[in-house]
Amino acid sequence: MRDIAFRQQILTTLLLLAITFGLWMAAEPLLATPAKWLAHALLAFWLPDVIETTIFEPGALLVVTKFTEVDGIIRLAISDEEGLAFRLNTRLVSYGLPFYAALLWGSRIAKPFNTFAWGLFVLWAAMALGLTAMTAKDLMLVIGQPFLATAWVPPSAVIAVSYQFSVLLMPTLAPVLLWVLQLRDSPLWKRLENQLQTSRGN
Amino acid sequence: MFKFLLIFITCLMVLFTIELLNPVQAAVIQPFTAVLAWVAASVVLPFDDTVISSGRVLRDSVSGFAVSIEAGCNGVEASIVLIAGVLAFPANWRQRTAAITLGFLAIQLLNILRIVSLFYLGQWNYDVFEWTHLYLWPVLIMLDVLLVFALYLRWLSRSDPSPEHA
Repeated sequence: MRDIAFRQQILTTLLLLAITFGLWMAAEPLLATPAKWLAHALLAFWLPDVIETTIFEPGALLVVTKFTEVDGIIRLAISDEEGLAFRLNTRLVSYGLPFYAALLWGSRIAKPFNTFAWGLFVLWAAMALGLTAMTAKDLMLVIGQPFLATAWVPPSAVIAVSYQFSVLLMPTLAPVLLWVLQLRDSPLWKRLENQLQTSRGN
Repeated sequence: MFKFLLIFITCLMVLFTIELLNPVQAAVIQPFTAVLAWVAASVVLPFDDTVISSGRVLRDSVSGFAVSIEAGCNGVEASIVLIAGVLAFPANWRQRTAAITLGFLAIQLLNILRIVSLFYLGQWNYDVFEWTHLYLWPVLIMLDVLLVFALYLRWLSRSDPSPEHA
């Protein structure tokens, strides 16, 4: 790929970011819904003794637990007691969607709609993992030991790293990795492969 | 290409985990973040003498508004992505060191612009500050990483065609 093509890619991406971020702001509750479904399924499967339910809200996922707080003590809720709940900001993991859209639509690729649809599925999965990591972090900080003692809950250090990775890196890194992989057979991809082969050959 | 991605992801996970270790945070990341706040304040001071920096905090002495530079705001994670990409791509160590050094500076340059812009956006409108801080700037910083990496690849293709192996 000629250098001018990459400059065009960056400029087009910057211009498209204004549009895709605008669309994302307007449609985030809809765009994040599949990730919320997936996160709900993951949490229900992983932590059936901890999670009561999840409630979808615009721009947020409310996670209701089976724990309650009485006189500063956290314990399992009984009968009609209300469970502790956490409101997760889904935008913290979904802002990768407009970034990915801008990167992809700024590239000249074959079958852009198919490619974009596949990309969305992957990003929804990454978002669901992110929401699960955010839930685990909140459960660790608020519920504490009763949560950490639950079966299949990893050590606190793993939860902390997973949360940081999911929130600090994944929303911007996943779109870039996905975009690079989907550029297969494009001039940029061929150039990278040629360079890798040349380097290995020397 | 598969090997590149494997090395890239491995380097990324290792460096990211090292960055989060408490001794590394205390000895490297937090002092570095404090320096970043000081540099941001130094950039602004010639134009605005009401700005003061204290540790990781940048404060306006008149309005009292302050921003604290936390994990994720110091450009270290973006630098880790760049370092992982540079390490995964075949090149000699001189080229890699130059790319990491210059790339780190390019990322931090944009990051200082980010900190300064957020400092003033926060005093103007908190909603705009939050939106820009949480969603827009991380994307622009990652785009900067992508640009730096692309420039590095261009430089590699134009320089010594016989790189050493990692």
